[in-house]
Amino acid sequence: MGTAINWILANWSALLVPVAVFLFVLLIVLLLRRRIYEALDRWLSRSGWKGNRILLRAFRVPSLLWCFIAALYVGLTVSALPLVWKALIGNGLGTIFVLSLSIAIFRFGSGLILIYGEKYQIPWHGIVVTRNIARIVILIVTVLALLDIWGIRTSTAVLLIGVVILAAALAFRDALSNLLAGSQLGTTKKIRAGDYIKLDTGEEGSVVEVKWDTTLIKAPNESLIIIPNSRLLRQTIINYGHLLKKAKEPFRFNSRAHMTELTGLRARNLRELRNILKTASDATIFFHTHHFLQEHHFLTPEPSNDLAVWVTDALGDQVLGERLASVDTFEFTTLESLKERMVSILDEYLATEAPLREAMEGREFYFMKSISVIFALPDVVTDLREFVAALSRISTSSLYFHIFEARLRLGKGLNDFSIWLRDSLGEEELAEEIARHDPYTYTLEGLRSSLIRLVEKRIQ
Amino acid sequence: MLGSKLPGKVIQNINSTFVGGGVAEILNRMVPLLGQLGVDARWDVIKGDTDFFQVTKKFHNALHGRQETITKADFEIFKETTEKNLKEMELKGDIIYVHDPQPAGLIARKSKSGKKWIWRCHIDVSHPNEEVWRFLEPFVVQYDSAVFSAPAFSRELPIRQFLISPSIDPLSDKNKELPQETIDSVMEKYGIPKDKPIITQVSRFDYLKDPVGVIEAFEMVRKSINCRLVLAGGTASDDPESEKVLTEVNERAGDNPDIHVLLVPPNSDIEINALQRASTIILQKSLREGFGLTVSEALWKAKPVVASAVGGIPLQVKNKLTGLLSHGIAGTAFALRQLLTNPDYAKWLGQNGKEHIRYNFLITRHLRDYLLLFISLEHPGDIIHL
Repeated sequence: MGTAINWILANWSALLVPVAVFLFVLLIVLLLRRRIYEALDRWLSRSGWKGNRILLRAFRVPSLLWCFIAALYVGLTVSALPLVWKALIGNGLGTIFVLSLSIAIFRFGSGLILIYGEKYQIPWHGIVVTRNIARIVILIVTVLALLDIWGIRTSTAVLLIGVVILAAALAFRDALSNLLAGSQLGTTKKIRAGDYIKLDTGEEGSVVEVKWDTTLIKAPNESLIIIPNSRLLRQTIINYGHLLKKAKEPFRFNSRAHMTELTGLRARNLRELRNILKTASDATIFFHTHHFLQEHHFLTPEPSNDLAVWVTDALGDQVLGERLASVDTFEFTTLESLKERMVSILDEYLATEAPLREAMEGREFYFMKSISVIFALPDVVTDLREFVAALSRISTSSLYFHIFEARLRLGKGLNDFSIWLRDSLGEEELAEEIARHDPYTYTLEGLRSSLIRLVEKRIQ
Repeated sequence: MLGSKLPGKVIQNINSTFVGGGVAEILNRMVPLLGQLGVDARWDVIKGDTDFFQVTKKFHNALHGRQETITKADFEIFKETTEKNLKEMELKGDIIYVHDPQPAGLIARKSKSGKKWIWRCHIDVSHPNEEVWRFLEPFVVQYDSAVFSAPAFSRELPIRQFLISPSIDPLSDKNKELPQETIDSVMEKYGIPKDKPIITQVSRFDYLKDPVGVIEAFEMVRKSINCRLVLAGGTASDDPESEKVLTEVNERAGDNPDIHVLLVPPNSDIEINALQRASTIILQKSLREGFGLTVSEALWKAKPVVASAVGGIPLQVKNKLTGLLSHGIAGTAFALRQLLTNPDYAKWLGQNGKEHIRYNFLITRHLRDYLLLFISLEHPGDIIHL
């Protein structure tokens, strides 16, 4: 200690100038820093940019340090120290500057990643990974800069780092592509938690979470589908948006199996046909107005009631056959009223007292009954999206039951779908649209497609 | 799901033969499949000597409407064999499912058994010999339900009657897809050149299948269109008449090189399959028919079909939609000519026919009908909520 004091006392005149220069420069750069900070603060505050506080906070201490470094460097330059000492101290100051700059940039970058990660709803894992990547890049650049300051050749190091980065990129290429896809999904907001999506590969469901590498989807059957983000981005995605209104009561899909019961009753002419028809049960009327549709639903959308076919083919009466065929089943809401209409047509014809034609032996009209066995399916839906998904997978028997059987056979006067949409979901307009839809003019698959289109249109 | 509604129930099928004919064919498939659905289905046959089966063959023909002389002795033979079977047959089922008239008399044990009884009539009884029907009716009305293959077979009875059409198994040897080499080898084996359109009727040699009428219709077509006829069939152990019919057919065919009469041994399902697939048109010119499974088989192979409007055939062939119906020899010849000269129309009919079979006459539908039938025994209404 005494030696140092003695040295200073002996060389005070040689120290005076560098110290004075140091203090003067320090004062100047501190004042300059303060002005810059105040101006920057005002400007950033006006801009409303969320990163201003982070920027100012990140550079507050390092910038103070840089003022000292700048003043010391100028003082060092005018000092009488040997060149070797000057170079050594200059490298030391450069090292401190680079390290402090790296820390400032890292803090600022981390803050920005956090702000924009939250803004674009990037999953937390994605934010952490992005921050770590930024940290590694800054570290590498810092190390290279320090090596350069101390005069160490960096070309080998750069090559080595390049090889390591390449190897890491190859090893984690899937993870990287998923990460980038995840970031893209987050920033573009194409898919968010709660959205209901449908992929062109058939998977569909509600998005539970968009993670940094995968997206979790809850399928209508409650199973969890995990899709890598990179795969998700390569697909065509239908996004139906957020969860829809939930029904007061869920819709429970049923199906029906059908048996044909024979009555043993047969008609040979129109009078016998009319007399038996007059007392026929609903099960008989339903059978003879619907079984062609059920058996030949793949073939033709044209509805055909058995009476019309028999009168035309077996009795050869084209005119009466056409009258019976033109009875629009869709107009009637009860089987009894449908029967009355058929009977009235036959009565009108019989009143003309035209000669009765007899069917050939074996071509008589055989009265039959439809026996329906109704059973519940596991499909239960609570909103339109679940409803349309179920519509696409239920059997044609289930569709047939809810559209045709429920309306006429069970005497509801309206199809089950419309009743549920109106009463439980409050979708009066859609319910009305489906109710107006004449199902007798479609094949069953055609009807299914048409209903799906209507509901999907409503969802969108 | 429907199978689970029959917990612990044993279904006992009873008929007259394990081999030959449509009933045995159906049960061979149906019994194991019901088992796979968790339904305990079993199959027994009644015992009978040659005399008994000759009588039941007469009954069969008479119920189909053919003129038969049935004597008192015939009824006695039937009753005696029934009595023997009543003593020997072990009734293990909760539901006794009796097929055709041969075992129908077993119903005498119903009152003691407390079981549910179903009579399954596989034959066309739309115009039965009244004497035979009056003999059988007292048995039939004691059953809980009767099942027929076509609406025209039903009669006014005091019991419930159901319509259950038979079916085909698309995976069986008779219906599965075959490689072209197999088809070619079968045609080669039977010496049938593929140089011109082939019209084929596959059925047992039986008067009711009208094989002679088929030859007559073919000869009418052959006058204007160069084609071949294949008549392929076999015999059944409960049908002693087949040999006689075969002889008559061979005589009628004479030495016409375009007519091929083939006696196909039992269990030649792949050969029958190949013959049908190699054919241009499938014909089924039956005079009476139970259901006519050969028509379903042909339609399943997307072949255009010409068939008589008898028995269950109109259920399968919707005229001009899934095939052509005919009512006589001339009409059959006309329909054949229509299809031979309009291959696109023939193809359209064949494709429609295949879809019709897919939706209505495959074994899956048949299985479902059986389960529904068993369930319906406990549910008398028109609408059953399970």
